[in-house]
Amino acid sequence: MTAFLQLTLDGLIDGGAYALVGLGLSLTFGSLRRLNLAYGATAMLAAYCGAWLHIQHQAPVWLVALTVMVAATLIGGYVEGLCFARTEKNTASTDAAPLAGADGLEVVALASSFAIWMQLEQLAVNLLPRHLNAFPSLATEQDWRLGELMIRPDRLLLALLATALTLGLAAWLQRSRAGLSWRACADHRLAAHLVGMPVARLKSVGFAAACALSGLAATAILLLDGQVTPMFGMWVLLKGLVAAMLGGLGSVRGALWGGLLLGVSESHAQALWGAWGREFATYALLFLVLVAPWRRHRSDRLVSGVHA
Amino acid sequence: MSEALSAHAIGLSSDMAIMSLLALSSYLMLLVGRVSFGQQAFFGLGAYAAGVMTAMFHLPLLLALSIGMAIGALCSWLLALPTLHLSGLHYAVATLAFGEMARIALSGWHWQLSTPDGPVGPAGIDGFRDIRWLLENDVTPGAYLALTLTALVLVLAVLMRAEPTRLGIALRMTGQDPILTNTQGIGVAALRLFTAAAAGAIAALGGGLYAHRTTYLEPALFDPMLGVHAVGYALLGGLGTAIGPLVGVIFDLGLLEATQLFAGWRMVIFGGLVALFLRWRPRGLLDEALVHQISQTLAGFLLGPSAAAAHPANSGANAIPLKERP
Repeated sequence: MTAFLQLTLDGLIDGGAYALVGLGLSLTFGSLRRLNLAYGATAMLAAYCGAWLHIQHQAPVWLVALTVMVAATLIGGYVEGLCFARTEKNTASTDAAPLAGADGLEVVALASSFAIWMQLEQLAVNLLPRHLNAFPSLATEQDWRLGELMIRPDRLLLALLATALTLGLAAWLQRSRAGLSWRACADHRLAAHLVGMPVARLKSVGFAAACALSGLAATAILLLDGQVTPMFGMWVLLKGLVAAMLGGLGSVRGALWGGLLLGVSESHAQALWGAWGREFATYALLFLVLVAPWRRHRSDRLVSGVHA
Repeated sequence: MSEALSAHAIGLSSDMAIMSLLALSSYLMLLVGRVSFGQQAFFGLGAYAAGVMTAMFHLPLLLALSIGMAIGALCSWLLALPTLHLSGLHYAVATLAFGEMARIALSGWHWQLSTPDGPVGPAGIDGFRDIRWLLENDVTPGAYLALTLTALVLVLAVLMRAEPTRLGIALRMTGQDPILTNTQGIGVAALRLFTAAAAGAIAALGGGLYAHRTTYLEPALFDPMLGVHAVGYALLGGLGTAIGPLVGVIFDLGLLEATQLFAGWRMVIFGGLVALFLRWRPRGLLDEALVHQISQTLAGFLLGPSAAAAHPANSGANAIPLKERP
């Protein structure tokens, strides 16, 4: 029983990190209705910039964190300009989508953001060619004991940060005027434009905010690891994707629930089948969520925009 | 020196032919409007299946390749069933997840037979060694290149031949607008299932050829980047004709990788080009309009201008220009 509780607790705490990376992905999808597959690579290249500063110039933690966030925003701007700006022109026109179906443009943006992924990953490796690169570390050595349960305080802090950020963002989206206008733009561009909202600017700001958030998430996670490898981009994308998809793309609180669910599933899968099972569980969960029969009835939720 | 050079050229050509098969498999999926990031899974499954057949059961190569193709087609069809109703976006993510599931499943697969030379068979993450059919049967790399090229030409011939038929046109219609195609009495679902099976078989054929060329497989080879490259080749080369993916492969492997001109920057250039093409020429270099134009011009040269004008259907039946939709 203790083992079960311990696994669940570990899973929940890991899930906080997943929720944090899922949040940015979900927000991008919510406001642009585009899935940004270069998301992980963006976070990775930004983290590499921070690590470079740390290795070459022994920059302090706050400067590294700031660099990562700024770099993530700038790189995100590049990705948006190359892959997603097309959206702006085409929403009103009835041009045939270059690839099939009603969501042809979405798929094109998805494919091109995937291509950009290769580019960003290679740039990061060119910047720091070694496999392991030092990142400033804030990890603690001491574990907390709670009865028979063990908790790593730094991980717990990360999970709490993720929860606070998610709930705060959800409240902001729901209550504030700015949040309302953001949701309006995501829901119906034309209607938002007609009532005088600066739709294009809000979208760009939303994209930049999501990218800065990914930088923050990357910093928070890497500060506990104390190192960054070229696998980080894939890790961010996949964990984020599963968390965001589990909770429903575009939903802020959903990303939190999705992240926690993923964390708990992974932790138990690892106990049952080892590291192999953990890795397999991530993808199996993603696949099941996508093809599950109940999805058919909810497919309209996809087109609804960002929500708390 | 020149011997080493020609060995290198033979190896590179084999690699290009094998990658072309994978790119054609992605191309076929793109034709029916599906971006699949999971074709590398069928490539890997075909590679393992063909390797098991020759190395463990000593079957002849062609039979092993056929079994690999059958397995690839079956798995692809099975994947297509639950993903049939998904939107393009979800389909892409689902195939990505499936590709990784297949890779991880392969990395957990231990099945070895003991032989006088030691155990043979897939050994999980350590990979599958000693697929030595070519060495045992004294097939030179040159002869194997000829076999690989024959396979590629056969696949190309089938695809090109199918292009002006009702089936080929139905495929393109599905890619352009599935709902409209359905209203024309064409079963989009059946067509997509069939295409998925065919694409899986082509990818598996490439995988089987790859396994025997390298004699060594490991699951990590079949990561999503392989599938993304295949999609990239098709999108870069063009969706207008089956030659398109080959152009993409020749550009990336033949020009960027082989010349080493842009060592360390190959991905930057390739990835950037794919993104730029998707933005400004979304159906690739050889898109339907250009293919139509070229075939008109060729017909003009071969038959004379009047003949080309008199039989436009013969020369350009396979082109459905994108902009001519009402």
